[in-house]
Amino acid sequence: MALADFEHGNDPLDPLRRFIATPLRTRFRVGATRVLVQTNDFRLLPELPLDTATNGVEDKSLEWKLVRDHDAHGLLEEPLLFTGGALTIASMGPACLVGVDREHGELLCFIGAEVDGRTFQEVLVPFFCRLTNEAVETQKCGDLLSERQSTLHG
Amino acid sequence: MVNLSFDRANLPFRTDFSLGGVRCRLSTNSYQVLEHSIPWQGGSRNVDAKTFEMDILEDASMDTPVESGTHFRGARHLVFAMLEPRSFLSYDLLRRQVRGVVSSAAAGDHAFWRTQLLPITVGILGTTLGVAPLHCACLTRNGEGLLLAGLSGAGKSTLTAALARRGFGVVSDDWTYISRKRGGLVADGLSAPIKLLPDTARFFPELRKRAPHRTMNGELAFEIEAEKLHPAAGLASCSPKSIFFLERTSTPGCRFVPCTSAHTRHFFKSNAERLPEELPAAQQTRSEIIDRLSEYPAWILRSGDDPHQTAEAIEQFLPEATLGTR
Repeated sequence: MALADFEHGNDPLDPLRRFIATPLRTRFRVGATRVLVQTNDFRLLPELPLDTATNGVEDKSLEWKLVRDHDAHGLLEEPLLFTGGALTIASMGPACLVGVDREHGELLCFIGAEVDGRTFQEVLVPFFCRLTNEAVETQKCGDLLSERQSTLHG
Repeated sequence: MVNLSFDRANLPFRTDFSLGGVRCRLSTNSYQVLEHSIPWQGGSRNVDAKTFEMDILEDASMDTPVESGTHFRGARHLVFAMLEPRSFLSYDLLRRQVRGVVSSAAAGDHAFWRTQLLPITVGILGTTLGVAPLHCACLTRNGEGLLLAGLSGAGKSTLTAALARRGFGVVSDDWTYISRKRGGLVADGLSAPIKLLPDTARFFPELRKRAPHRTMNGELAFEIEAEKLHPAAGLASCSPKSIFFLERTSTPGCRFVPCTSAHTRHFFKSNAERLPEELPAAQQTRSEIIDRLSEYPAWILRSGDDPHQTAEAIEQFLPEATLGTR
C-alpha cells in the first residue's frame, strides 16, 4: 500500500495536492548525473543504479519528486511536450503531468493511480532520464556560458 | 509525441491588458485568443499592478477529442491545469509566467476565457502579483463596497443575486481579488456570471426559463449575468468599506452582530489555500492584505429569512454600517 493512502484525503485548503508528503527518498545515477528521488509510493522508485559514491561532489544533480496521485485516473495519453525559458512541461493526460525546471534542477511529477509499475519503469523512467539529460546539458551550457562571460569581463 | 516551442517567433500576436488588479502581457499565435483580451483593454489601470506573461499556442494537436475533464495539480512553484474545451496550461509562480496549448474550440470560446481560463489564471497567480484572491462576494451600494463572506453553502451567491435585484452593484459573487492601491484596498472582480444552484429558482422565477448546466466542480448550476437582474449591477471594481459574514440559522429574522478584527483575520486566513514554502513573498502579501482587511468594520449576519428579506435587511442596515466606517 502506498504511504499516500493514509493521507491523500482531500484537504480543501490544498486543492492542487501540493502538500502530499513524499517521505521515501533515495539516490540514483543517470549517466554522470546524480538523481535524488523522493516519492510517496515504493512502486515509483526507478530501477536505476543506486548512487553509492561518497565523492563526485562536482557531478551534476537533479531532484525527482514523483507523487502517486490516487485521485488521477486513466492511462497514459500521447505526450504533449513544450519548452520555454527554464521549463520543460509534459502532459500525458491526468495520468502523468511533469515539469522540469532546469535552473532549479528539479523534475516534479504527478503519476495517476492506474499507471502500473511496469509502465512506470518501461515508459516513464526512460522519459524522465531523457528530460534529465537534456536539463543537465542545458545546465552545462549555461555554466560554460557564464564561465566564458566571466573570463571575458574578468 | 507532440513537441511545441514557445519561441517568440511562434507567438506573433501580442498585447497587454488589466484584469483582477493585475496586468497580463499576452503573446499568442491565435487571432481568436487575441480577441479575448478586447473586453479587458479598456479596464481601469492600477499603477501599482504587477505583470505576468501569458504565452498561448493554439495547436491542431489539441483538436483530437480526448475526455480528460478539468484537472489541477501543483508542486512547489509549478501548477498544471487541464481544462475543457481541451486545453493544457502550466503556471510558473516564481517567474510569473503562464504557458498553454489550446484547441481551436477553446481558442474560439469567449465564455470559456471569461468564466474559466482568466479567473483561474488570476486565482493561481494572484498572490505572486500582490493580489489576494478571497472566497467572498463583493457588492456596492452608493459607491461603497461590501464584502459578503461565509462558508460554502451559506448562500452568498443567492444573496448576491437578491442584492443585485435591489440595485446593488455586483463586482463578484464567488472570488474577489483584493489588492493594495494608494494606501487603501481595492476589490476587483472578473465579470463572471453569478452561479446559482437549481433550488434557488424558487426565489428567482426568471431562472425557470433557463437550463442549469454542469460547472467546473461538477455541480449543476444556473449562470446569470448580474445585469440580467438589474441593468446597473455589473461592476469591475470598488473600494470595500465593510464585511458581512453570512450564517444561516433556523430562527426567522436577521441579526447583525459586530465582530472583531480577530474573527475577520481568522476567517480569511483559515479558509485560504495553503501556499508552498517556495513562495514566501506571496504568503506575506496575502497575510498583509488580510491583516489590513481585518481592520474594516465587520458583522456576522445571522439570517433565517429568505434571500430577498435578507437583502432588504442589509439595505436597511447599511446606513448604520456606513456611519460606523466614518
